[in-house]
Amino acid sequence: MNYMPGTASLIEDIDKKHLVLLRDGRTLIGFLRSIDQFANLVLHQTVERIHVGKKYGDIPRGIFVVRGENVVLLGEIDLEKESDTPLQQVSIEEILEEQRAEQQAKLEAEKLKVQALKDRGLSIPRADTLDEY
Amino acid sequence: MTQKEKDWVVKVQMVQLQSENPRLDDYYYQEYYQKLEKKQADEELLGRRSRFESLKLVTPYIQKAEVYESVVRIEGSLGQVAVSTCFTPRRAIDAVPHGTQDQETAAASSQRLWVLYRIEKMFLQLLEIEDGQQDGPAQPHDSEQQSSRVEKLFQALKAQGQNNLEAADDGFLQALSVGKGKALVARLLPFLPREQAVSLLLAITRHLPFLVKRDVADQALQMLFQPLSKCIRHLTFRELLQGLQGLVRLPPGCSERPITVVLQNQFGISLLYALLSHGEQLVPLHSSVKEPSSDHSTWTDVVVLTAWEIAQMPTASLAEPLAFPGNLLPLFCHHVDKRLVQKLEARMGCVAMDIRS
Repeated sequence: MNYMPGTASLIEDIDKKHLVLLRDGRTLIGFLRSIDQFANLVLHQTVERIHVGKKYGDIPRGIFVVRGENVVLLGEIDLEKESDTPLQQVSIEEILEEQRAEQQAKLEAEKLKVQALKDRGLSIPRADTLDEY
Repeated sequence: MTQKEKDWVVKVQMVQLQSENPRLDDYYYQEYYQKLEKKQADEELLGRRSRFESLKLVTPYIQKAEVYESVVRIEGSLGQVAVSTCFTPRRAIDAVPHGTQDQETAAASSQRLWVLYRIEKMFLQLLEIEDGQQDGPAQPHDSEQQSSRVEKLFQALKAQGQNNLEAADDGFLQALSVGKGKALVARLLPFLPREQAVSLLLAITRHLPFLVKRDVADQALQMLFQPLSKCIRHLTFRELLQGLQGLVRLPPGCSERPITVVLQNQFGISLLYALLSHGEQLVPLHSSVKEPSSDHSTWTDVVVLTAWEIAQMPTASLAEPLAFPGNLLPLFCHHVDKRLVQKLEARMGCVAMDIRS
């Protein structure tokens, strides 16, 4: 097979099921239908998978067009090994609830940490409020 | 994804990799690959057949975009479309000489550029004037400023070229030889006071054959017709006669009257008809005096000559006017004999039919 430079190598992956990780943290699973030189992707029968601990839930999303720069990584899913996973699938409501609970827990932990540091006289400035320079 | 689309993506990627001197642009890859090949060749020599062909990047030689023309003329359009890339940013459209012109000398091309430069400057002034009018002539101060701007622009239009030995109308005519210049004059005419507009109109009629010849490439004279016909309605009889005489008189050293060329051009014939129509409207107002004046006889001569020229011309060469005034045929009826009128009807009649239908 001729070695194809850059995004042309994605041509071999067309019409196969892929898992795509986006920069905003979302995980998409769908069939890769079309690409271009910027690695913009067209995904078909896409499902957004949310993972919390050992559980996951799938939200069907339809067709996705993803701008290339937002992709962290993508990889082909082996259809035979797909179901061979220790994770437990749950319903959408449950996984969203779990996710919300997880976010909450994280926020609380963060608050405690900041408080503890303050008590000791240290303060870690948050990245988004850093505007001196 | 169709195969065509896939090939296209591959092509796009490949074209980016093309290079005249790969050892310079892609040194590390080239070096690495050479070493790899050498190693494989050595291994093969040693008898180890278990080596495998490593993937090699083969860039097919894809022709880069051909030399394009930066100015594209679409068939039947009045203007040009400028196509630009990063290597050749947009060229000034009119600065590109058309293929039909002969090799211009350096002086001629610099003259041309000078005219284009003048036109650009004048256009900016015109835009200022048009903006001034849009805001509304509220205060007297504004209208004063406006009329001084118009005056300045008029002077700029009449100004001489680089070579001051040229004739009086030359600056104006040079501007009119360019498509953008015609647009400039067409838009300026409504703003000009009567005398200045009339002087421009008379300059145009004086040099009409020249302008017609120069317009062959652009075909842009039509845009002048509307503002000029408005101006014609303000002409006095004397001025009108001046304009018409210029067309009818036989210039020295030339066997052809200007009117012959004028009749074959759409703008020319429209202008001529408009002038004649206006004259016909003025005549009853002018002939209040019983005895026929010299002006009157000049007018009659002009009309007869024009009628004769139209009758002479084969119908196929007669251009179709942009507007056909209703009082022309009666005008000719008054002045020429029946046979000639019939000939004229045959020529102008079919033209009038086309316009009405």
